[in-house]
Amino acid sequence: MREQEKSMATGRFGRYGFYLRQRPALLVLLSIITIAFFLAVTGLSRAHEAQRQALGNRWFNRGVADLNAKRYDAAVTEFRSALLYSQDDYSYQLNLAEALIGLKHTAEASAYLLNLWDREPENGLVNLELARIAVQRGEIDQAVRYYHDAVYAAWPRDQESNRRQARLELINLLLRIKDLGDAQGELIALAANVGEDPAQQDTIGDLFVRAGDYEHALGSYRIALRADRRNVAALAGAGHAAFQLGQYPLAQHYLQQAIAASPGDTQSAQLLQTVDMVLRMDPFRRQISAADRDKAVVDAFKSAGQRLNSCTLPVASSPGAGPPISLNDEWFAMKPHISMAELRRDPDLAEKAMDLVFRIERQSSIVCGTPAGADLALLLISKLHEGS
Amino acid sequence: MDLESNPETDVLVENGRTHAASVWIHQHSPRAFLRSAFREDRFFLILSVFIGVLSGLAVVCFRFAIDWSRLYLLGTGAVLTPVRMLLAPSLSGLVIAVLVIHFFPTSRGSGVNQTKAALYIFNGDIPIRTAIGKFVTAALAIGSGHSLGPEDPSLQIGACLASLLGRKMQLSRDRMRLIAPVGAAAGLAAAFNAPISAVLFVIEEVIGRWTAGILGSVVLSAVSSVVVMRWFLGSESLFRIPAVELKNPTELIAYAVLGVVGGLASVVFASGITTLRPKCKALPLWTQYFQPAIAGLLIGIIAMMGAPQVMGAGYEYIDQAMHGQFTWQFLAILAGVKIVATLLSFVSGTPGGMFAPTLFIGAMLGGAVGGAQHFFFPHLTGSVGTYALVGMGVLFAGFLRAPMTSVFMVLEVSGNYSIIVPVIVANTFAYVISRGLQPIAIFDLLTRQDGLELPSMEELREEDVLRVEDAMQPVEGPVLDANDKLEKALMELDHSENEDVLVRLSPSGWSTVTKEHLRQMAAQGKSQENVGSLLLNPRIPHLHPDHPLETALRYVDRWPIVPVVSRADFRKLEGVVTQRHVLERYREFGEG
Repeated sequence: MREQEKSMATGRFGRYGFYLRQRPALLVLLSIITIAFFLAVTGLSRAHEAQRQALGNRWFNRGVADLNAKRYDAAVTEFRSALLYSQDDYSYQLNLAEALIGLKHTAEASAYLLNLWDREPENGLVNLELARIAVQRGEIDQAVRYYHDAVYAAWPRDQESNRRQARLELINLLLRIKDLGDAQGELIALAANVGEDPAQQDTIGDLFVRAGDYEHALGSYRIALRADRRNVAALAGAGHAAFQLGQYPLAQHYLQQAIAASPGDTQSAQLLQTVDMVLRMDPFRRQISAADRDKAVVDAFKSAGQRLNSCTLPVASSPGAGPPISLNDEWFAMKPHISMAELRRDPDLAEKAMDLVFRIERQSSIVCGTPAGADLALLLISKLHEGS
Repeated sequence: MDLESNPETDVLVENGRTHAASVWIHQHSPRAFLRSAFREDRFFLILSVFIGVLSGLAVVCFRFAIDWSRLYLLGTGAVLTPVRMLLAPSLSGLVIAVLVIHFFPTSRGSGVNQTKAALYIFNGDIPIRTAIGKFVTAALAIGSGHSLGPEDPSLQIGACLASLLGRKMQLSRDRMRLIAPVGAAAGLAAAFNAPISAVLFVIEEVIGRWTAGILGSVVLSAVSSVVVMRWFLGSESLFRIPAVELKNPTELIAYAVLGVVGGLASVVFASGITTLRPKCKALPLWTQYFQPAIAGLLIGIIAMMGAPQVMGAGYEYIDQAMHGQFTWQFLAILAGVKIVATLLSFVSGTPGGMFAPTLFIGAMLGGAVGGAQHFFFPHLTGSVGTYALVGMGVLFAGFLRAPMTSVFMVLEVSGNYSIIVPVIVANTFAYVISRGLQPIAIFDLLTRQDGLELPSMEELREEDVLRVEDAMQPVEGPVLDANDKLEKALMELDHSENEDVLVRLSPSGWSTVTKEHLRQMAAQGKSQENVGSLLLNPRIPHLHPDHPLETALRYVDRWPIVPVVSRADFRKLEGVVTQRHVLERYREFGEG
């Protein structure tokens, strides 16, 4: 009977009648169950998340304490524990990377940092650490790229000082690889950023000296000296820069002050000695009497002769069609004429004698290396008057 | 729509076409809409989304359960204390044994075979108790450090939920059979955060065939479950993927070596399981109470001896292996001890999955091979992480014997298509070696050990298929043309012994006619008529040489001779098939 009723119902509603009465209702019920399940899982998920966050933070704080105390081994374990609870946490990974760098596990640290870099390519610290790792690995191009990114990156705090630090490291790298042009460019930018901070300007001055940019180096030392006239490092640096620029009176001024302030500075003392000799031995300096000039020429000629004795120079071809004439022959040929009386009588002789002296000093410096003492002074004087 | 009603004629005019009003109303009524929406095939798709969502929620809960289990049993830190290492897996093993033996006997094993059994034996029916048992025992086992993974249990939980929904929705038997794989795909996708791999695995290993209906449901459920899972757990991958690049094609040799090593390791792993499992099952019943505990204790000892990485699923260590944290020698040791630990856990009957251990072993092995190759050939540019990533796919192909899934799994997890060539090379070597040394796949072996005979997807894939060309015979005697005069046709047939003759129709098509019939027509004075006008069968079907032979079976009992024609030219006869030839070919095939 029931079967009959069922088949009648089926007939009345067609072959889908039975399902039409059942499925919509079941689907509504299923939706309600799904929503309820979803809400329950949401609650569960929040509890789970809160617990994981608390555990993660606990391990992270321990890790930070150990990292600050340079207990890298413990810090790595703790940061790893923290990461169990938040695998993608940025600061957990960053700190773990730093701890790994501390442990010299650069490969793994690099993996974490690269992952962080993918997420935040403009993060300064990540770029700086990646640059340092690249330097360790000898990947110079990459290092320069990361340093550049670090210089222009966003830093969560102390942005200016962190950028300066990154740029300083970049400059040191560029100087190490002898890329002096780029180094000078970065140094000029850095100098403009540090203002009048004497310590910074002092450091920048040293870097300019290493980059061979003595003009800017002198400028930086002068800024440093504005704040403290007795800044020994700046005085010595300025003396050195002025010396390299051939500004010997200025170099003498700074070096004298540097030695006065720091008598133990032997390097500056030696430099000052050379500067004094240059200033004393230069026959073409201003405000010099004729007698003093002639004496300086005679002394210089004598020094050149001694230099020829200690350094054998090759025979050079003569400027004309005659046989080759060596500098030694020239010197011996001129020697009988170099006296105070002859120089007084022939004013052009001084120039000729000094021309020979300069050629001897230049040639001997090429053949026998940079001289010392009077010969060095004469060489510097020759450079000073080069082309004049 | 231009719709007019004419009450006098009771006819509706719609865009110039007329319909009886009652028919139109019937077709456009709310009831018709509901009827259409709730037609079973559409309803099945809607249900697939619900299955995906519910499976995703269940898998999220399962992950929470494993997490909590780990926190309370093994501690909160990355470094485990020796006491916990020993006690957690062994004591949990005791509890698990009691639960499995007394309450959830069907929750043993990984879950893949149970889902296949539901499809092929139990008409899609999986008791919900199985899901509950699997959830509890697997969470306890994995959380306490047994060397098993959460993927296969998730797959089974999804299948159970789907089966429950199917029963409650009173689906037809055909749909019920398919619903377990739909849930399985959802569970696996959520557990692995990889919907494509999950869909492929279920199609490749559980269902074994591609049809639009199945694919739609499986994809819908997998995608819905992954969306739910990502809603709660985030979208990040299970491990950080290293930078992948293949600079020099000669490095493929190195990946081929990895494939060979992976293939051999797969065979060792699978042989260990298939050898030890029946032996453990054959031990007295009371020992089954202690087998998971002893397995747990031994795993704890392995962990204490310096390899705590073998405990649990071990995804965090896969991550570390990919980023060069271990030496290649240690990676090789880890691969070896993980095989031992997983063997112990699995053969002791502890519920849990094989996917995660397989990936772990593969990653360690890959890293070890990569590291060793770097050591001996420093010019190789592929990172250890790349080898570890490829290694995961290698073991997947070699051990689980799912070649398609193994490739897509690595691609999906890495999100980097430049790795595809190394993966294919290495996986092919691993698969071929594994199949050569162990012809029956691990899932099929386990099924047979359990006394079930489920279809082996691998054997189905590799099965030889008979084609029409295998039974095709050359044409003997003349072939008539429909335009031939009957008189001429009879002259041609005079020398032929065949009673049945093929007739080529114009412009295309084929028919047959008997000599007897043609003679009768001639006797009736139709000698000058075309053969085509005298045919009894205006047209018969034809076959092509590459058709499966079973296609021929549909025709050969109705027509004594069936033409086999070229696909390029339907008038070109390649041969013929008859019922006798088809049956003879089948008989020969059956006799091997």
